[in-house]
Amino acid sequence: MSEDRRSPLHQAHLDLDAKMVPFGGWEMPLSYPSGTLAEHAACRESAVAFDVSHLGTVRVTGEGAFEALQWAFTNDLNRIRPGRAQYTHLLDESDASVLDDIIVWWITPDRFDVMPNASNTSRVVEALSQGAVVPGIVDVTSDRAVMAVQGPEARSRLGEVAPEAAAVPRFDVAQLSIDGVDVVVAGTGYTGEDGVEIAVPVESARHIWDLVLGTGVVPAGLGARDTLRLEAGLPLHGHELGPGITSLQAGLGWVVRFDKGDFRGREPLMAEAEAGPKRTLRGLVVEGRRPPRAHQVVSLGGRPVGEISSGNFSPVLGQGIALAFLEAGVDDGAAVTIDVRGTDVEAVVSSPPFHKR
Amino acid sequence: MNVPEGLKYSSDHEWVRVEGDTATVGITDYAQDALGDVVFIDLPSVGTVVETGVSFSEVESTKSVSDIYAPLSGEILAVNDQLADNPELVNSDPYGEGWLCRIAMSSPSEPDSLLDAAAYQALIEG
Repeated sequence: MSEDRRSPLHQAHLDLDAKMVPFGGWEMPLSYPSGTLAEHAACRESAVAFDVSHLGTVRVTGEGAFEALQWAFTNDLNRIRPGRAQYTHLLDESDASVLDDIIVWWITPDRFDVMPNASNTSRVVEALSQGAVVPGIVDVTSDRAVMAVQGPEARSRLGEVAPEAAAVPRFDVAQLSIDGVDVVVAGTGYTGEDGVEIAVPVESARHIWDLVLGTGVVPAGLGARDTLRLEAGLPLHGHELGPGITSLQAGLGWVVRFDKGDFRGREPLMAEAEAGPKRTLRGLVVEGRRPPRAHQVVSLGGRPVGEISSGNFSPVLGQGIALAFLEAGVDDGAAVTIDVRGTDVEAVVSSPPFHKR
Repeated sequence: MNVPEGLKYSSDHEWVRVEGDTATVGITDYAQDALGDVVFIDLPSVGTVVETGVSFSEVESTKSVSDIYAPLSGEILAVNDQLADNPELVNSDPYGEGWLCRIAMSSPSEPDSLLDAAAYQALIEG
């Protein structure tokens, strides 16, 4: 029936009675029987595990690897070192649209595991191949599972079965073993909580997943992943980043290092930086529970000033929240109106995140 | 999925409990499971006239928004005010505390055209 790719943890999700949905060419868990709100609460209060095997992994190695990444992406690897992770952007050369947002795991001096959004993997490979010296570039997505263990109790619970993995500091990357299995662990995540992400060889994925869940960590699906990242004000490619949207508009100028030398998309982005972005990503908090949704129009004093990129219900606030691209000059605290399918819903402009740990 | 006997069902996944000329309306266990966690429900005002098959309510879940279609024509007599602060009742008790509204039916014979429990069960298993 489905042509979608399956995670190495597919059977584990079925055994847990997950509701499976298509997502970016993969069939992944939307939620488990306790539901999205319970999974969201577990991540804010204790610990959850997500299967994020649908993220791509492109392994870049050997001579030219460092230079290829420096040119292809916006951030500056000179600001980190082997054993660290970095968030970065891949830009369109002609208009500086963000083609993908990526986490780079710098594992050894000449080995980088580049993690794009699954559907953008080919664009990343192409960009990394444009330099004078082309490094080794291999898509190793099919060789591993990736799980994210997140929440205030993520480290203490994981520590019961994998103390070394649980101790990997925020934005560090380490090669180590869990119960005899060689893994790569990074202190990264996408929930606004502390935690780690673990890349595991396919044949051992189920064993490590079961080991983690055995500590009382709650499995969580894409539904909770989306409400958690929205509360944390984190961008989702296709919503806050994508065609026609630059790093500067998305409020992610810190990802771009103009002073590092030339990089893909530098020139058009520099032009926008000098002129100032015409619109920027802002937060909206609704005066009630009603969730705003993507593409709804935001007005100030009866005049349209922008459009919502993502919206939902915030379990922590008990209110509807949204990220929206609004024209420059709309300040925090401004009272705006969202057109929710013909009904005017009042909201206040704010600066994300909506939740801080 | 729970499909209680003694209720009538629409093919749009609403249930109806008939008492005289009045019908209590909600969404089925199947519907709440498909929607996922409900976080907001927009209900009509008391006195609103609703028409069979026309949307009279919106249910927002963490996943999406769905229209709820009136299973019967009539006038809204009461709405479940508890849902304003506790929309999750639709998930936890769809046939009880999670009821949506009561309708004074325009035609008391209209429920005859709805599905019984066995027919609705067959529909969702189909």
